[in-house]
Amino acid sequence: MAKTVLIVDDSESIREVVNFTLQNEGYDVLVGVDGEDALQFLDGRTIDIVITDLHMPNLDGLGLIRKIREIDAYKHIPILFLTTESQAAKKMEAKQAGATGWIIKPFVPAKLLSAITRVLR
Amino acid sequence: MIDKFRNKFVEESLDNIHDLEEALFLLENDMDDKEIIERIFRAMHSLKGGGAMFGFNDLSEFTHHLETIFDLVRNDKLTIDNNIISLTFESIDHIKHLLDIGDITEEGDRLHQNQFIKRVQAAANSDSQTVTAQEEQISEIAPEKEIPSSQVYLIDFLPNEDILRNGTNPLYLLDDLHAMGQAKVISFIQNVPTLKDFDPINNYCHWQILLNTEDSINDIKDVFIFVEDECTLNINPVGKGNILELKDVQELITESQKNQVALTVESLNKFSAKREEIAPQESKAVNASTPTPKKTQQKEHKISSIRVASTKIDELVNLVSEMVTIQAQLHLYAENDGKPGILQLAESIQKLSRQLRDNAFEISLIPLQSELMRFQRLVRDLSNELNKEVDFVIEGGDIELDKNIIEHLTDPLLHIIRNSMDHGIETPEERVANGKPANGTINFKAYYSGASVIIKVTDNGKGIDSEYVRKKAISKGLIDENAELSKKEIFDLVFLSGFSTKEVVSDVSGRGVGMDVVKKKIGEIRGEVTLDSEIGVGTTTTLELPMTLSIIDGLLIKVAGNQYVIPISSIEKIHALDNSIKFTKNFNNVVTIEDRQYPYINLRNSFNEDEPDSKTGEEQIILIKYEEKLVALLVDQVVGEYQTVVKALGRFLKGQDNISGASIMGDGSISLVIDTNRLIHNELAKKYQKE
Repeated sequence: MAKTVLIVDDSESIREVVNFTLQNEGYDVLVGVDGEDALQFLDGRTIDIVITDLHMPNLDGLGLIRKIREIDAYKHIPILFLTTESQAAKKMEAKQAGATGWIIKPFVPAKLLSAITRVLR
Repeated sequence: MIDKFRNKFVEESLDNIHDLEEALFLLENDMDDKEIIERIFRAMHSLKGGGAMFGFNDLSEFTHHLETIFDLVRNDKLTIDNNIISLTFESIDHIKHLLDIGDITEEGDRLHQNQFIKRVQAAANSDSQTVTAQEEQISEIAPEKEIPSSQVYLIDFLPNEDILRNGTNPLYLLDDLHAMGQAKVISFIQNVPTLKDFDPINNYCHWQILLNTEDSINDIKDVFIFVEDECTLNINPVGKGNILELKDVQELITESQKNQVALTVESLNKFSAKREEIAPQESKAVNASTPTPKKTQQKEHKISSIRVASTKIDELVNLVSEMVTIQAQLHLYAENDGKPGILQLAESIQKLSRQLRDNAFEISLIPLQSELMRFQRLVRDLSNELNKEVDFVIEGGDIELDKNIIEHLTDPLLHIIRNSMDHGIETPEERVANGKPANGTINFKAYYSGASVIIKVTDNGKGIDSEYVRKKAISKGLIDENAELSKKEIFDLVFLSGFSTKEVVSDVSGRGVGMDVVKKKIGEIRGEVTLDSEIGVGTTTTLELPMTLSIIDGLLIKVAGNQYVIPISSIEKIHALDNSIKFTKNFNNVVTIEDRQYPYINLRNSFNEDEPDSKTGEEQIILIKYEEKLVALLVDQVVGEYQTVVKALGRFLKGQDNISGASIMGDGSISLVIDTNRLIHNELAKKYQKE
């Protein structure tokens, strides 16, 4: 069965690139425009992995990660966040919030896919 | 594949830039507002991240430096001042330019970019004492990348026994290191217990990695960031150059693996690769202090819209227009046919197409807001240039207009605002001397009025002397010196070509472009522009604009056998021509209807048609709204109300002032759409003009 990926980013172009890449690889993709928007998908359905941006309006990436970890059904799903290189401290914070790993922006599709397969195994 | 998304990124970035400018204006008023700073930071962050993704590397690099400033600000390491705001405004222009050209190819642009980055960096460092070690590291990442020099690091990685329980596979981390450069791994397995004591969920191994990489020590630490508290980690630069290529070192590694004896920094430091490169950088301790995140409380607009190419909307509006025409044809056919079935169908379709028309029309509306930033920016820039202090106050930025109208509007409005800035608002000294506040104000106000949108630009400057305008018009031969004109009529003279109140052409306004051009441009979108002013108090320029250009509800009339359409929106009342209506002909044409007098225009005269031999009895008087008054038009016959699609007349008939377009009727015939404002204006103006 196809794996379901929830991607959350406030940038439309990034969303589209990720969406395009993943759908091409046969993933089912859910798309949230910010943290708050993404919460609607956490309704018990199967989500295999979450990929989220950190800087977003309404509910930022860290807030979203914390919310996801509060829900029993999603306590252990892998969460990757998108980040730029200059945020070592942010990464630490994201990890404490419950993130599994990260993808550094800018990324090429291959890098994105390998990061996902790595955590999904 | 990325190229496909480039255009999307550019569009999105323009939005981000717009947001950035808007936020910057807000910040200027409240320099401590954390939410605004967060918003600015986020917009820059998107530009930077997306820029690198979509091949705008120079844009990304530049924004990185700019973002650093606001990162410092949001972490209270730097305070916003006017210099930073001005620099950011300038930077926005530069970013726009970069978005336009993509990556820099020209030498001049490169130079400019580098100089600009230096300025931005200087601004970020202006508060250098407060910059902590962490920020220094961050800002050093860029230079390190610019000089590709590799360094070998000895990494001791000793995971705790329970590391596997958290779902971490240490081998993936080793993979990550391999991805950063050339790596040699030594695994230490002496701690693996006998099978009896072996617990498969425990980790018993540890590793030493020699990594030759161009990345910084922080990048290496990043690899381990998720396991930092589940392992012991030591990273040290060793030797000079890529010592992994040295045979001695390779032997040392093999031996270490065989004997399970760890390598030491000292044992490796004596090596130096022949190809001497730049000296190894000092290792720095990672400062893992976490700044508390600033949670954004500000509720922003949820994205509940989709982006559509404007050409698609134009096409939709076009198709709907065509359908409205066909629908009119059907309606006519049904009426002639008279069968109840088809009549009902025709009516349903009429209702539907009307709704469809309204919807399609609504889609093509965009808020004025999108252009206001440019005006605000103009006021800001000119204030500095002219040494005037001017507040730009906006009301009704959410008023929506057809995007084609907004496009036509920008230049005239820029001109009007420029005029206010240059000729209207006085210098602060002058203002204070006249008992006015030193700060001038330009008020931009937009609101709906019937089917029109009114835009008023009001300044509280020195105003225009109507007597001066009158004399000037006389001297230029525009009016007769005996003509008695109302104040309003005098100010209308300003819009005549060949009229410019300022003798000396200044740099800011009056670059040979007068108010007549403004009038012409506004006229092109069937709008009207008027001026009102009081000496010492200020000047108001008023624009009256239609909400749409393409489809109107019109009243079909006939004059001398020809069909014309008058927009319903401009009609007040229609009167049959009976005995109660009295015409007076003295120096002015006046008609008396229900005890009220109105100036009247016989459309036969306007269109140079001969008077008919006798009245048909179908003549009607139509009262048209014109400025604040009503003007009567005499027509031969009123046919009825129609939805009409207005088509441009084409360039041969462009000079037709009184006609704004043509419309194809249901039966295929053509009727001309009368621009009542123009027609009335021209007719009334005739009497002032010299023969």
